[in-house]
Amino acid sequence: MLHPFDFPGGIYPPERKDRSTLSPLRRAPLPSQVILPLCQHSGRPATPCVARGDHVRVGSLIAKRDGLISADVHATVSGTVGHVDSDAIHIDSDGQDTRQYLPPLDWRTTDAPTLLMRLDESGVVGLGGAGFPTHIKARVIEWHAIDTLVINAAECEPYITADDLTLRNYPNDVLEGAQLIAALCGAQQIIIGIEDNKPEAIAALEHTLPDSQPARVTLAVIPTRYPSGSERQLIKKLLNRTVPSQGLPADVGVLCHNPGTLLAALYAVRDGQPLVERMVTLTGEAITQPGNYWVRLGTSIETLLSHAGLDNARLSRVILGGPMMGTSLETLNTPVKKTTNCLIAATPDELPPAPVESPCIRCGACESVCPAQLLPQQLHWYARAQDDDKLTSHHLFDCIECGACSYVCPSHIPLVDDYRDAKRRLRYQQIEAAKAEHAKHRFEFRQARLAREEAEKQARRQARLAHNKPTDGNASNESTSAPPADLRSLRIAQTAAKAAVRKAEKVLARAAQQEPQQPHEDLETLLATAQENLKAADFQLAQARESAKAPTAEDTP
Amino acid sequence: MSMFHASQVSASSAKSTTPATASLMRWVVIATLPGVLAMTYYFGLGVLSNIALATIMGALLEAGMLRLRNRPIAPALTDTSALLTGVLLGASLPPASPWWLIGVGMIAAVVIAKQLYGGLGHNPFNPAMAGYALLLVSFPTYMTLWAPPQPLISDTLWAQILGTLPTSQLDALSGATPLDAFKHKAEGLSAEQFWLSAPLPEQTLAAWYSISLAWLAGGVLLLFKRIISWHIPIALLGSLVALATLFHLLDPNCFASPLFHLLTGAALFGAFFIATDPVSAATSQRGKLLYGMGIGVLIIVIRNLGGYPDAVAFAVLLMNLCVPLIDLYTVPRPQGHSKGAPGALR
Repeated sequence: MLHPFDFPGGIYPPERKDRSTLSPLRRAPLPSQVILPLCQHSGRPATPCVARGDHVRVGSLIAKRDGLISADVHATVSGTVGHVDSDAIHIDSDGQDTRQYLPPLDWRTTDAPTLLMRLDESGVVGLGGAGFPTHIKARVIEWHAIDTLVINAAECEPYITADDLTLRNYPNDVLEGAQLIAALCGAQQIIIGIEDNKPEAIAALEHTLPDSQPARVTLAVIPTRYPSGSERQLIKKLLNRTVPSQGLPADVGVLCHNPGTLLAALYAVRDGQPLVERMVTLTGEAITQPGNYWVRLGTSIETLLSHAGLDNARLSRVILGGPMMGTSLETLNTPVKKTTNCLIAATPDELPPAPVESPCIRCGACESVCPAQLLPQQLHWYARAQDDDKLTSHHLFDCIECGACSYVCPSHIPLVDDYRDAKRRLRYQQIEAAKAEHAKHRFEFRQARLAREEAEKQARRQARLAHNKPTDGNASNESTSAPPADLRSLRIAQTAAKAAVRKAEKVLARAAQQEPQQPHEDLETLLATAQENLKAADFQLAQARESAKAPTAEDTP
Repeated sequence: MSMFHASQVSASSAKSTTPATASLMRWVVIATLPGVLAMTYYFGLGVLSNIALATIMGALLEAGMLRLRNRPIAPALTDTSALLTGVLLGASLPPASPWWLIGVGMIAAVVIAKQLYGGLGHNPFNPAMAGYALLLVSFPTYMTLWAPPQPLISDTLWAQILGTLPTSQLDALSGATPLDAFKHKAEGLSAEQFWLSAPLPEQTLAAWYSISLAWLAGGVLLLFKRIISWHIPIALLGSLVALATLFHLLDPNCFASPLFHLLTGAALFGAFFIATDPVSAATSQRGKLLYGMGIGVLIIVIRNLGGYPDAVAFAVLLMNLCVPLIDLYTVPRPQGHSKGAPGALR
């Protein structure tokens, strides 16, 4: 076991995990209809590629990713596509559950680009909550040197036990998935960070640990304390590395994954199974059969909860996620998404409504529990006063929104809500300020697209001419006039365009990982422009090569 | 949005954290009991009459001000902060102070220092100490009339409270506090000679020692219940003892011993009950240490070099003034920020 390095602050809320860990893992019944939202991940929504009436099978691609930060969506039942709109695709199940999986791959013998493509076309995203596309995260090696893969199994939020049950039931597969990701990102060691309140998962891991190859796997059992499952806090605790502000774990050589994601990645590669189901914790006093369930994505939450024995008379509200960071659902008529990890059907006694807020007495309880070492009460004053300069200088954007401050506040002030509002306001201002810039970038993209289309047309014409060459000598004479120096400068241009694409990808991937919940339209536009430029350079180069070849072709006969 | 709140779930939580604001205030009131009882034992019912009058007036003034400000009255009264201000000011005044003196003090505390600044949580100055300081500079005669230890019910209790006792008789009643006596001892008298001359009525020193220890007991209760953090009291008492020792070593005849400073004035009362008022104190932990140290230093400086025998109120108010500055300079470095990176100070 590693020596645990501490992070500041933290709280000890009641865990209430027993309700969902006492019963074994179950499979929710096949839904008769699924609603698959086009945006179940961070970034842009996917673009539908099916139409009403199409027949699909489990695993059929129904929406294609749009842009870099986006993810494919697959059918999760077999049947007929119903309504397709800008938000979601409805599928009526035929009850056959026939599959359309991708061919299985052995990750140990397959090259990295193929594996990355597989993760991409399987629609795997981070299942811990942010839903960041896994294939982008796996490409980190192009931008950063990674030495450690951390399996974030801390699961510090009360109630949630999906990772616990995943590890209890599939310790081998999770480790295999971790080895796969470690191999892709070049990590030499794997550390499993797990809180000491999960003895069964720890036992299961200890049993399987020695057989895991090739990266060295270490199990680090850490004391239970909220929010040790927060990425930054966990990395500090396990490795004593501090992720810089506005930075990524990759900046300190670390990649973090949740066990469920690793499992999904392995299934995508080994079994060719796209992300069509996930484990969801169903818990709360208002359901009679709490536990963890394998659930097809797109299943209605209402159906799911009534299957688990929802008692509507006792229900006060359903919470999506954990009680610290989750949100109250407005309606139960909403589907399970890739990021749905936990549903709490709470009774009024269990999670009472928030008490009436009273004035801040500056007691400082919030400061002593803040894991990011901020001054929550100062931020509270500045947020209410909309003092944006002070908010920024007091590091509002370093807040991880863990809710520890709200939890201990004796005046019951919903501090995190204030911070979220303030962040939203500040971001909106930034977006407004960048609008002119974005318009310029969109214009540049259009120019690049037109140039690419022109180059494409030219290349096609050239190819046609080359094809008809024997009958038309003049045309080939014309093309021989292209000097070889031109070819070299085109090659240089193409390399530069490639580098530009890589840079745009890096910038976008970075921004999207830092703020997975935010749109990054401008960066997507910049990337698309770079891609158009690259395509144009490709065509021009191909065209020049064609014409350079032409004289030799003429000489040979 | 956090659905969990410590005060709602703490019953089931193994390690409970801070209780709600009203309960915080109530605990502070409870913790004043040992000190208040010890004072009553030595100085008579005049102590309780002070507190009773101050709390009743505090509640009325608070309600009246909230009404004028069009704010809900019930929640503000149930948070018991006005009650606490009354107890603290009542315990600071000379026993059996006249009602109007208490009234003026409470108006300064609740109306001016607290409500006019925006009510609970917005007052830059400690309300009780603002009231006390105003009375001390405005009515020095009444404020320095600290009678020697006396029976529970003195003959003149009612006359004193009603303010009908003529000033000439008041003087006869009054004695000096130990700090006062030592400060105004005849020049050239050595400390040893001073104490041999029996400068104070019987039991006076014992009374002040016991009362200070009773305040300490209440303070320990607050620390133990985690109502207050250790930073301010420890920093305050530590710097007070350190500076008092330094002065005492320089000239033991002129400057009293650190133990004398610690036990005969309002030092312990101030350290645990006044300086720890979270609203008017510094916020970060480093800031609290600085704030506490500042008060300790100021108490000794004023006592030894200034014109007042005790100085808790002025020291606290002066440091209240420094709080915005302390807060500005003690913003902690958040995780992930490197040393020397631009912070709150830009």
